[in-house]
Amino acid sequence: MINVEHLSKTFGKQEVLHDISTTIESGEVVAVIGPSGSGKSTFLRCLNLLEVPTSGRITINGADITDKKTDITKVRQGIGMVFQHFHLFPHMTVIENLAFAPVKVKGLTAEEARSKGKVLLERVGLRDKADAYPSKLSGGQKQRVAIARSLAMDPDIMLFDEPTSALDPEMVKEVLAVIRDLASTGMTMLIVTHEMNFAREAADTIYFLDGGRLVEKAEPERFFTRPQHERAARFLEKVL
Amino acid sequence: MSITFPCRNFALFSGPVCEVISYSGYITCMTNTRMSTIIVVAILLLVFSGSSSSAEGAKKTIVMGTSPDYAPYESVDAKGSGEIVGLDIDIAKAIADKLGYELQISGMDFNSLIAALQTGRVDFVMSAMSVTDERKQSVDFSKVYYVARNTIISKANHNYGTLEELSGKRIGVQLGSTQETVAASIKNAEIKKLNKIPDMIQEIKSGRIDAAIVEDAVALGNTTANPDLKFTMIPSGDGDEDQGYSVAFPKGSPLVDEFNEALQELEASGEKEAIVTKWFDSIMATTGPAGGLNLDFTILRDYMNYMMKGIYVTLLFTLVSALFGFVWGAILSLFKISHVRPLQWFATAYTSVFRGTPLLLQLFLIYFATPQLLDYDISPLLAAGLAFGLNSAAYLSETIRAGIMAVDRGQREAAMALGIPYRTMMISIIFPQAVKNILPALVNECVALLKESSLVSVIGVQDLMRRATVVQANTYRAFEALLFVGVIYYVLVLILTSLARVLERRLRRSD
Repeated sequence: MINVEHLSKTFGKQEVLHDISTTIESGEVVAVIGPSGSGKSTFLRCLNLLEVPTSGRITINGADITDKKTDITKVRQGIGMVFQHFHLFPHMTVIENLAFAPVKVKGLTAEEARSKGKVLLERVGLRDKADAYPSKLSGGQKQRVAIARSLAMDPDIMLFDEPTSALDPEMVKEVLAVIRDLASTGMTMLIVTHEMNFAREAADTIYFLDGGRLVEKAEPERFFTRPQHERAARFLEKVL
Repeated sequence: MSITFPCRNFALFSGPVCEVISYSGYITCMTNTRMSTIIVVAILLLVFSGSSSSAEGAKKTIVMGTSPDYAPYESVDAKGSGEIVGLDIDIAKAIADKLGYELQISGMDFNSLIAALQTGRVDFVMSAMSVTDERKQSVDFSKVYYVARNTIISKANHNYGTLEELSGKRIGVQLGSTQETVAASIKNAEIKKLNKIPDMIQEIKSGRIDAAIVEDAVALGNTTANPDLKFTMIPSGDGDEDQGYSVAFPKGSPLVDEFNEALQELEASGEKEAIVTKWFDSIMATTGPAGGLNLDFTILRDYMNYMMKGIYVTLLFTLVSALFGFVWGAILSLFKISHVRPLQWFATAYTSVFRGTPLLLQLFLIYFATPQLLDYDISPLLAAGLAFGLNSAAYLSETIRAGIMAVDRGQREAAMALGIPYRTMMISIIFPQAVKNILPALVNECVALLKESSLVSVIGVQDLMRRATVVQANTYRAFEALLFVGVIYYVLVLILTSLARVLERRLRRSD
């Protein structure tokens, strides 16, 4: 469970996030949408402290990660994150990418980590790419490997930061399929996305951010058919 | 009264060096065990540990300091055992035998001999050293055991018999020698002070000076090896200084009287005369081809083994300083990108100082200041490895920093998001990519280190360059040994760069 209280974030004079409070239940799938520059990515990155909040409190599974005494490295091990630009480790093969953190951080043996990695690759449909270097993969394949790499740490929360924005259109589908599959397993997930259809069908809740504020929070059906706020309505007009 | 002047090879700096020789053994400081100790020590930066030469045997050992670059008095037997040999050594041996001591010889630069006496590193010094008022203030001297004469050396087609005939000419003398005083008395002469005898000989041959003033043994050796040169004894009374070579001791040493007695006995028995004759004959045996620049590499044949050993020293030194420089440079680069202000300041100041001052100066400071500040007798190789490593780290820290900055920020974020600790992330994720980015710059640095390593010969490390100058002195020939080691350096650089290419290809396999 993620609990966010009065989260604010400023870069210099610019306020990127303004007093956001919300609770994400375990197993909940949240799609974060909104115009560009609305603070979606910053919000997501605050949840594993890649951005340090200016004020406010974030509690994840009972641990206050905004408290300096909390070992954030430990907390991050339970939160997977998938980036727009994949960020695979280019000097390692696919299977090495998957096995690295489990071996170095969780203390698995190389053997255990590799066989676990193989299972995950199977799940994202890339078993035959285990020994390839990332530079040999397509964008969609890279993103699926990146998802598998996060899953290798057995996280109970997954954060997706525009996972399909950098992909060619024909590759979007394969990545969304993997994420959809993951959503059905009961994983707690936050997905920053521009794919409205995907958000509507896969998410339990839609967060609509605008100007750094969490303007609307609703079930997909209600949000897409009867948005409560004017700004949300205008946004939907443009994108749908 | 005949005239005698000390004329020694005056390096600007000095100190105990690696030419420690025990007469019951061979060179003791260059054994493999000691070398590997040095590597470990240098890499771990354990500046305070190390080893020093010690003597064995039941007889009481006395240590003699000498500067083995002055045949026939003392030189390195580079053709043979690599030991220090010469007239002074034979006399010292005879004295030690008479007095019942075990003799151990410690080679070092001429200028550090007095310091070595004062700090008790050696018990006495025999190194063709003459008595001067200045030296008398710091050390005690024995009676004069040998008197050398000054000569004028010039091209064979000139004829300079007296100092008067040199007036208005260009005269070469060795820097810091008492021949400087003699030359100063010549009217209208243009005096050129040179560091080394071989340099002076080349200056004569190339016509940059008309003549040089050197002592008889030096003149004899050089004119024998260079038939286009000749020498003339300066007549007695010309600038007479009444000085000869003496044994030097620490102030108040009880050895002075013992040595004086032994010297007297050697004189009386004719043993000393026999030693002198033996060594002067050995000079005459040195044959050389005609002058000019015609090179004769066959003279190097007997010195091959000796010079080749320098490859090992040079490579070892390069390896130690490159590794140390890389590791320390990597740490400094981390300081620079850290958010801890004092660390940033330290790394920036460090880089500024080490890049902003000459490497040679750093080398001298580390080599000479360490024994005084830390009371640790730092070996030349360790000092050199340290100096070059510290200097190289300053440059590499900037290179590595640039390499790290060039790694995509997302790599760091991905590692952080996976919960990978900072250290592991740096070592396994960021560094490998940074190194790949900067590999060509790293290779440049290694090549530079390999070549700059020739600087260490000034503090007596027996590297390729130092060995070349030893051979130069022994053969009285300027170019052969230098050209030979020049080729070796070039081949070493070629090997290094092709190894780097292989490495680069390996790193690029993920592209």
